Amino acid sequence: MNNYLGNKKALAIFLLPALIIYSVVLIYPVLQTVFRSFYDWDGLSTPVFSGLSNYKELFGDPLLGTSLKNGAIFALVLVVFQIGLGTVLALICADPRTRGRKLLKTAYFVPVVLSVTVVCQLWIAMYDPTNGLINRLFSLLHIPYEQNWLNSPTQSIIAIAFVNAWQFMGYQFALLYAGVKAIPEDYFEAATIDGCSKWRAHLHVTLPLMRETFKFCFVIAITSGIGAFVQMLIMTNGGPGTTNYTLTFMIYRYAFMESNYGYACAVSVLLVLISLLATLVINKVFDRGQQA
Amino acid sequence: MKMNRNRFSAILLTLTLSIGLTACGSNNSASSGSGNSEGNAGNSTIKLKVYAQHFDEDTSKPFDYAVEQLKKEMPNVQIELDPAVQDGYQKLKTYAATGNMPDIYFTDWPTLQTLSKSKNVELLDDYETTSEFKKSLNPGVDSRLVAPDNHVYAYPDTGIEFQIIYYNKSIFDKVGIQTPIKTFDQMADAAKKLKDDGYVPMSIFAKEKWITTAFYNGLVTREQPEGFGAVDQKGVKELPEAFVTAAQQMKKLQEAGLFDANATNTNYDQASSLFYQGKAGMFVNGQWEIYSSQEKLGDQVDWMYWPAKDEATYEQSKYFINGAGSPAGYAVSPSSKNKETAVKVAAFLASKSAEYRYSQLGSPIVAPKVDKPIPANVPAMMQRIVNELLPNAQKYALLLNNTAIQNAINDNTQNLLVGGFSADDFVKNLNRALDKEN
Repeated sequence: MNNYLGNKKALAIFLLPALIIYSVVLIYPVLQTVFRSFYDWDGLSTPVFSGLSNYKELFGDPLLGTSLKNGAIFALVLVVFQIGLGTVLALICADPRTRGRKLLKTAYFVPVVLSVTVVCQLWIAMYDPTNGLINRLFSLLHIPYEQNWLNSPTQSIIAIAFVNAWQFMGYQFALLYAGVKAIPEDYFEAATIDGCSKWRAHLHVTLPLMRETFKFCFVIAITSGIGAFVQMLIMTNGGPGTTNYTLTFMIYRYAFMESNYGYACAVSVLLVLISLLATLVINKVFDRGQQA
Repeated sequence: MKMNRNRFSAILLTLTLSIGLTACGSNNSASSGSGNSEGNAGNSTIKLKVYAQHFDEDTSKPFDYAVEQLKKEMPNVQIELDPAVQDGYQKLKTYAATGNMPDIYFTDWPTLQTLSKSKNVELLDDYETTSEFKKSLNPGVDSRLVAPDNHVYAYPDTGIEFQIIYYNKSIFDKVGIQTPIKTFDQMADAAKKLKDDGYVPMSIFAKEKWITTAFYNGLVTREQPEGFGAVDQKGVKELPEAFVTAAQQMKKLQEAGLFDANATNTNYDQASSLFYQGKAGMFVNGQWEIYSSQEKLGDQVDWMYWPAKDEATYEQSKYFINGAGSPAGYAVSPSSKNKETAVKVAAFLASKSAEYRYSQLGSPIVAPKVDKPIPANVPAMMQRIVNELLPNAQKYALLLNNTAIQNAINDNTQNLLVGGFSADDFVKNLNRALDKEN
């Protein structure tokens, strides 16, 4: 084995197929997208070089503000719900004294395997302002908070983000649970013997040791929020108006509804840059925490 | 030897990458067509691939009838159907991008414009078939064949379709609403009466933005017969008065409770079943809904003209039609190996499809004239259109070509159905779009 690892030719031969596939399916399209973003192009005709005009237009596009704000709200809801609640549930399920742990673990993961369309249709019915379960519950509990959930210009994005958060919480939960189980129990036991309460021990021992898991979970949640699309498409079609637009929805609109592929490429480049920036910031924050 | 091996590896790597990358490229010049070359055709079979709508009875029956008739007229032509999918013509655009265009394809005006720029549609202007088709057109429907740039890209089968307001006569009688509703104040009053009696006043599938746009256009056409065509001109930087009035009227109707609270999340199936189950007093859709509504509600259902600001305006404008003709239909690919035949077949398919719609389905909304009798069992509502509306039609709305303005109207008319969005917001957003585009 060591012979192979020291042999550069052998390494190159083994890596080459993967490198070629990676280049063709990922790097090449990304470079093409960047390249096309400098062109006025309808997807079929010969592209006309337009320099930075797509980017200039993009930064004056009223949809950009809406999309960035919605992406940020979506990401925030995912972080709070998936990572916050996912962590609490992971800690509960990791405790050997919790009864029915297997059942709970399965229950939390079940929504992940359901079809997004089915889940969205289910929640559309639950959010219905007149006959929906959510408003009925508020009414039964005499809480005057009935809302027009999916039509409200301010609340609908949170309502939609919640559906994504609910469905994929189990996925984050599985990662966090694996992270908790990877920490040797001795640390936790030593802390409790030293007089720490259970939750205090988790706060000072378990959670700091899960830094790498959290880093990964944050990257997934935030980039998923920024690039959210399917739930908006199915639940409100981006509406009312453009209330629930995100960057991905903008790409869909300009590329497929307006045949303005050059401009859609510019939005795609911005989406990739924002996602990369978010990933870098998350890595930086978590690495700094580790050094401290 | 070592050097040679390195060179060999480098050449191999370059070749692999080149093949991989070229595979992703496209070549629009690649020919389609699955038949023989036209020059060699003679009496042998000519195969033509046709991309056409063929997903329900409304689309498959007229097409199948046209193909049957074609077998009699041109026995040496064999049609290979490629059924269109309801994907906004993305599949067709993919064919164009990969150089695999079918010989004949059915498409709409926005797609024709894109395909025209990329030279994927044959210009039909100078074909003799086109002049014959032009002569056969029904009066007033030229805009279905001749594009705003004066070119002919496709042969249409249907005429100019339009939107009407359907209402349930039994519910109106029960609630005490006088018909016809002539003014938008009467419409607001009717909405209140229906709502008070527990009905959804108007069922609308506003998850699709075009229907809110159509509703708004209906109000606009009461004072501006050109409809959206009036904002599609250079120099129009602000919304004309008729459009502002229509936005205010639509907002007032929303505030009067005309539309369901969940209207912007209601799809066609949900909206139509509310109407057909007798839970909604009114329903808005195109004239093509007549067959379904007559079948499901029988004599209980009828249609009405769009309301206006007062009765005088209503009487003056009720024959301004809320529907604009846009070029659409059977187009021909310039890369077809049997282009001359394909042009003839495209026109034939359009004519025969129209013939079926007219003579079998009783639909008078067809582009070419049909010299056959309309069947006796035409729904009463359609007969009203034939007897009352079409002979008196004063003007059809004009086409809005600008996609950006169209999208701005779509977005903002949908917003008018939601609380917290005012008519002033509508005007401000539209003025911004007009200022940028015109």
